[in-house]
Amino acid sequence: MREPIAVIGIGAVPVGRYGDALEHELLLAAFARAVEDAGVQKDDIGGLVFSHPRTYAKQRYFATFMAGYLRLQSAATVLEVVGDGMTGGLAFDKAVDEILLGKCNVCMALGVSMETQVASAEHMNLTMRAVGDVDFQAPFGFTPISWYAMDAVRYMHEYGATREQLASVAVKNRRHAGLNPIAQYRDELTLAEVLDARPIVEPLGLLEVPPRSDGAVALVLSDLETAEKLDRPYAVVRGRGFFHEGAHQISDKPNSMIRLEAAREASRRAYEDASVSAAEIDFAELYAPCTIVEVLASEALGLCPEGEGALWAQRGETALGGSIPLCTSGGLLSRGHPPLATPLYNVVEVVQQLRGEAGERQVRDAELALTSAELGNYNAALVHVFGKSV
Amino acid sequence: MRSIRVDRPAPYPPRVSAATKPFWEALREERLTTTRCLDCEDNTFPPKPICPNCFSSRLTWQPLSGRGTLYSYCRVWAGPEVFREELPYTVCVVDLDEGLRLGSRFLDTVEPEVGGRVTAVFVHYTDATLFFFEPEAARKNES
Ligand SMILES: [Zn+2]
Repeated sequence: MREPIAVIGIGAVPVGRYGDALEHELLLAAFARAVEDAGVQKDDIGGLVFSHPRTYAKQRYFATFMAGYLRLQSAATVLEVVGDGMTGGLAFDKAVDEILLGKCNVCMALGVSMETQVASAEHMNLTMRAVGDVDFQAPFGFTPISWYAMDAVRYMHEYGATREQLASVAVKNRRHAGLNPIAQYRDELTLAEVLDARPIVEPLGLLEVPPRSDGAVALVLSDLETAEKLDRPYAVVRGRGFFHEGAHQISDKPNSMIRLEAAREASRRAYEDASVSAAEIDFAELYAPCTIVEVLASEALGLCPEGEGALWAQRGETALGGSIPLCTSGGLLSRGHPPLATPLYNVVEVVQQLRGEAGERQVRDAELALTSAELGNYNAALVHVFGKSV
Repeated sequence: MRSIRVDRPAPYPPRVSAATKPFWEALREERLTTTRCLDCEDNTFPPKPICPNCFSSRLTWQPLSGRGTLYSYCRVWAGPEVFREELPYTVCVVDLDEGLRLGSRFLDTVEPEVGGRVTAVFVHYTDATLFFFEPEAARKNES
């Protein structure tokens, strides 16, 4: 990056089910924590970038409503961004932009996502229209995670990976979540429980697909000079990369659906931008709604060998203490998945780890980390490389 | 190729536009088609009023064989509310012999086989015709 950007404050409510809670009130809890954590004053905050809240959120024009609610004036930007699963990642990326453009020294990225107010089947009436051509694919009944399940079938076919290997990702992530106070599901899981769970998008069962979750996150970002002056622990964004492969769910020209080309290209750019290699990454917090997605992303991002991601998960290489710990927060499967806030939760985990504040789940000597966000079937990917220092 | 009549409306029928009407009308007559570019010869699916390869608007209709191989599939047990009546069902990705990939529904009277040969089945709902796929062997058994 032209200059590194610091993440100086993090605030997140535990992922869970918040029933009839109001979006802005849930977000305020995260907001207050982030501002206090950063040690900034109200006048320091130059811009606000929000994840667009779900279509169901009663309060519309959420960003400007929040600016009014907080009586916060801004000369940089106040806006909401949208990009399916990538939404929270785009909010973070846009906040980085505002500082790099010199529009402000301190910018916040915020997101609240309330999933549990609408029943899953009803919600899918909406999401099925996002993950495919409304006229040429939706009529067949594809669901967002049905595409990932087809990835799983194809991956097992091509590499001979087993159901047990894929399921071990869920067991590992649950173990990580058990060490994370803000995780939604923290009770230990056995491999048998994962394999025997009722089918959702067969071969994947209930414990290999994301739970229904609510959550809210606020992050404070700044330029390095501001971060230094504040004299508190911070983490640094060292590089980023984005790529859209020009396909929506599937390419009409047959290619490999499981190579996740966008993740390969986005991470190549991010590594180059940060002047690091994949081998130097100490841990990664991936956007992986299903077990198979963590496996495919780990390979595409260069963190596990080609075709061996599932094997590595089974061997414990991707667990805490392994060679490349993945999703130390518990990931989307167990920390929980409020989609529009999920990429922001991933940043929270990375910052906690890099500041050495992850407690029992601390990655030893953590200095370099990676986050990924995606949309569709990883048709687009947004990758950020974080460092403990510049 | 086989066809099936279903005595109810499609759970989520496609919209028909001036550009896609020839496709849906041909489908009703049990022919699978798509657009092909007159300038660069590239084809695409679904059919479009522009060539995504060279952005030419000079297009023609190309008949498709409806035959191909099964790239992948999965069985949906939890689906959108509008598909409740049809659960569980199998969705799939098929690579047609004409070098085009599409998403569809798989009629799994037998266990689907990745890489196996498949053929189109025309499914006539009361309000729309859709294209499903089934193993080629199933079609042979029927005839
Ligand atoms: Zn052309």
